Amino acid sequence: MSEAIRERLRQWHRGWLRRRIPPAQQIRLDHRRIFIIPSKAGAGFLLLLAIMLVGAINYQNSLVYGLTFTLLSLFWVALHHTYRNLAGVQLRATGGRPVFAGEQAPLGLVLSSSRREHQALRLSWPQAGLHTVDVPAGGEQALTLYYPTNHRGWLILERLRVETRFPLGWFQAWSLVDLDWQVLVYPRPVSRPLPRGSAPEGSEHDQDQALVEGVDDFQGLRAYQPGDSRRRLDWRAWSRGQGLHSKIFAEPQQQSLWLDLTSAVGRDLEERLGVMTGWVLALENARRAYGLSLPGQRIEPALGPAHREQCLRALALYGLEPQR
Amino acid sequence: MTALIPRNSLAWLLIAQLVVLVPHLPRLPWWIAVLWLGCALWRVQIQRMRWGYPGRLLRVGGLLLIGLAVYVSQGTLIGLDATVMVLLLLFMLKLLEMRSPRDALVVIYLGFFIVATAFLFDQGIPLALYQGFCTLILVAALVGLQQSPARNDPAAALRRAGVMVMQALPLMLVLFLFFPRLAPLWSVNVPGSSARTGLSESMAPADIANLAQSPELAFRVEFDGQVPSASTLYWRAMTLSRFDGRTWSYDQRLEQRTAPPPDTAGAALVYQVVAEPSGRNWLYSLSGSVSSTPQVNRLADDTLRALRPLSGTFAYTATAHSDALLQPEGLSVSERRRELQLPPSGDPRARAWARQLRAEYGSDAQLIQAVLAHFSEQPFYYTLQPSPLGQHANDEFLFDSRRGFCEHYAGAMAFVLRAAGIPARIVTGYQGGELNPRGGYLLVHQFDAHAWVEAWLPGTGWTAFDPTFQVAPTRIERGLEEAMREEGSFLAEAPLSGARYRGVSWLNSLRLSWDDLNYQWQRRVLNFRSEEQLALFRHWLGTADWQRIGVIVLALVFTLMAVQAFFWLRPARRTGTPAQRAWQQLDRRLRPLGLGAQAGEGPRDWQQRIGCALPSQADLLAAFFDCFVAQQYAGGNADAALLRAHLKRLVRNLPRRRSAGLPVKRRLL
Repeated sequence: MSEAIRERLRQWHRGWLRRRIPPAQQIRLDHRRIFIIPSKAGAGFLLLLAIMLVGAINYQNSLVYGLTFTLLSLFWVALHHTYRNLAGVQLRATGGRPVFAGEQAPLGLVLSSSRREHQALRLSWPQAGLHTVDVPAGGEQALTLYYPTNHRGWLILERLRVETRFPLGWFQAWSLVDLDWQVLVYPRPVSRPLPRGSAPEGSEHDQDQALVEGVDDFQGLRAYQPGDSRRRLDWRAWSRGQGLHSKIFAEPQQQSLWLDLTSAVGRDLEERLGVMTGWVLALENARRAYGLSLPGQRIEPALGPAHREQCLRALALYGLEPQR
Repeated sequence: MTALIPRNSLAWLLIAQLVVLVPHLPRLPWWIAVLWLGCALWRVQIQRMRWGYPGRLLRVGGLLLIGLAVYVSQGTLIGLDATVMVLLLLFMLKLLEMRSPRDALVVIYLGFFIVATAFLFDQGIPLALYQGFCTLILVAALVGLQQSPARNDPAAALRRAGVMVMQALPLMLVLFLFFPRLAPLWSVNVPGSSARTGLSESMAPADIANLAQSPELAFRVEFDGQVPSASTLYWRAMTLSRFDGRTWSYDQRLEQRTAPPPDTAGAALVYQVVAEPSGRNWLYSLSGSVSSTPQVNRLADDTLRALRPLSGTFAYTATAHSDALLQPEGLSVSERRRELQLPPSGDPRARAWARQLRAEYGSDAQLIQAVLAHFSEQPFYYTLQPSPLGQHANDEFLFDSRRGFCEHYAGAMAFVLRAAGIPARIVTGYQGGELNPRGGYLLVHQFDAHAWVEAWLPGTGWTAFDPTFQVAPTRIERGLEEAMREEGSFLAEAPLSGARYRGVSWLNSLRLSWDDLNYQWQRRVLNFRSEEQLALFRHWLGTADWQRIGVIVLALVFTLMAVQAFFWLRPARRTGTPAQRAWQQLDRRLRPLGLGAQAGEGPRDWQQRIGCALPSQADLLAAFFDCFVAQQYAGGNADAALLRAHLKRLVRNLPRRRSAGLPVKRRLL
């Protein structure tokens, strides 16, 4: 019962935050986005002041009154200094790269200041460690934060807590920002033996030897396309004034492999996807072409980073929302 | 999460501890300083990973040792001095237990508290300034603790602390002046209640001569109007009626008797006294004085008493009446017996002389004149170095040595009068005072201590007589220094005292200026209590009604806070390029006209839209937007002033309200 109420409250809080500080790649902290309350240290200080005030009253001591009031006014001044230390900071997300589940996702962040210096800003997630940074006046401070990942798919981040207690530690001013980082988490790779050269039934791809550019057998010339390696350019033809051509070689083709979700064995879908991921990585290492077959989705066999990423992305997002 | 204390913060903490401890050291045993050095060294070694933190056994042992040390040095574990000492020791030993920033915070908070306790022992200007410095250092240490560990910039911490303390001062002043001064919530043992240099409740030969060696200040007094001449200023502190053959002493029973109503005949002389802490509760007043200060009592012998011993400076106002008589109606039987009391034996020659005088003179007044004449005619000598007296002190003084200080003369005269059957008593107090021409007030020092005689005469009641005046009129008229010029004994035991060098004029003027500053400090700051505060409210706000004062004061405090908050929290104004600011300014100006910039709208579109609505401004609009486009997109030679000039001309020519010839959508629809 109480757990349910707490969950409702959390939901409400999350919704309220989303309305108040909508997710954005770039956020400037201002009075709408900053919360401030006295810290525990501040509460302790007020208690100390109360004791000193009682002392001043009992001993009728003007100078103790003076000291107490100076410190009380200082408390009031500290409120503004702490607020100002956070206000005006601009946070900008600078993308992250995809990671495998279980790895720490690197998240780029740039803090910049328009005018003031901002000192001892603490950046933290409940799950991840604490970073303390200073932002110079009118300058920038770039840093990379790491966030633990557990599940494949688009990384769902908690709001980043940007907090400061500077200069006296009596107040904590903080903001909870969602910088809308787009980080794709691939399934956690599981290492299993490769499947036999099986092909999905009803496929004609067995015979259809995909032409894969190799290094051994010269096949012919092709007009130059941007991106062709310089080493494969036909310089002789070029010197004869026949234009720029690339030489094309063919590799003795191994049979390309179809990776099928049904052939991956595992306790649950996640593990099977993990097995598929492991295969993708292994085949990419072995430089053997592979295709991917998922229910409702087929990726033709190929090799190379772009193909690898396409496959991993398909595995990461299988059965999930394609967009955040 | 256990963060460590950065080196920078530790340095701040050690400096802060040292400066906070310094003012306490003179009151404490020497080993405290050594202990602090030891603790500081140990903590530095811990920071350098050379030594470890002390173990639990050592910590418990240390605590027990503290208790023992305090008990041995103070004789008790309770009471303010012992408490402060325990606090200081904990403050120092906490260093060895300081692992996390939270522990460091405890040390700094203790530091603030210790700064406050120092004010219970001393409230002078130098200490107040020094403690202000300590506060600054403690705040800087707090900043150092919050700085990010990578940053090692003590100067920045100190600068930030200075700015913050300065910004805190206005609100502090308002709170200091207007926070209601409440009565003590419970009674406390005030430090300095122990007696200090000053008069005592008894007077034996040589007591006051010893006091006359002290250059310390007894009190300051300021008159409303002309300062009377020094020779008329007899500051009465107490009357001594009991005599045991050697010592005159104060009669406690006096305090039970009800004081006769004050006599208010003659011209009134109003004066304010600021008494230095004496640890006693007697006050100083001119004859025939009544006080309007609430914590002051008037006793039956016409002296004033404070309700509590003077632990700090104490200010009171009194009014003296020039023709006031004291008990002219006569003495009761018991009073008469008390004021004639003498020991059964001793001083036979003085008693015989008294009997002889009694036989010779019928009236008391004539007899008294004869005694005074004896002092002026015989070769009496006024000296701070009287010869020691034996068993019959009055006999030896009157007929053999004839060398003495005021207490010898007063004691001998009172003895003779009592022996002759005239009620008489000793009055002790101070006589004269030094005028501070800068502040227009009198300084009365311990060396102005004096004793004289009051005799009860029919018709005039208690009447003062000063036998010292017969012997050394310069003492009364020009002060002790002049009277002792020949002897050279003035403040012989205090060679460094400023009062001793009154002859050196620049030094003297410096001394008097410093004293004036101290006096104003005491009167206006240290003695700012509820009466002074009420007087201030009456003067400034014209009311003494707490409800109205409360409303006004709260309004004042909140106004100040609001003004400060406005200045500190207003958003940074200068954001973006000059061109962007000009854009925003025009947008703000046009929004009420329904012509504000729309999201995603470019300058040319906007210009066209405004131009349609305000065709008469087309030229000015074109001038502004051409300039804007040139600066915003071409970049390079951006002349902010030119853009501002265009904007200003445009804004001045824009209509104020929507109705001024604008196509209002609503009407069209």
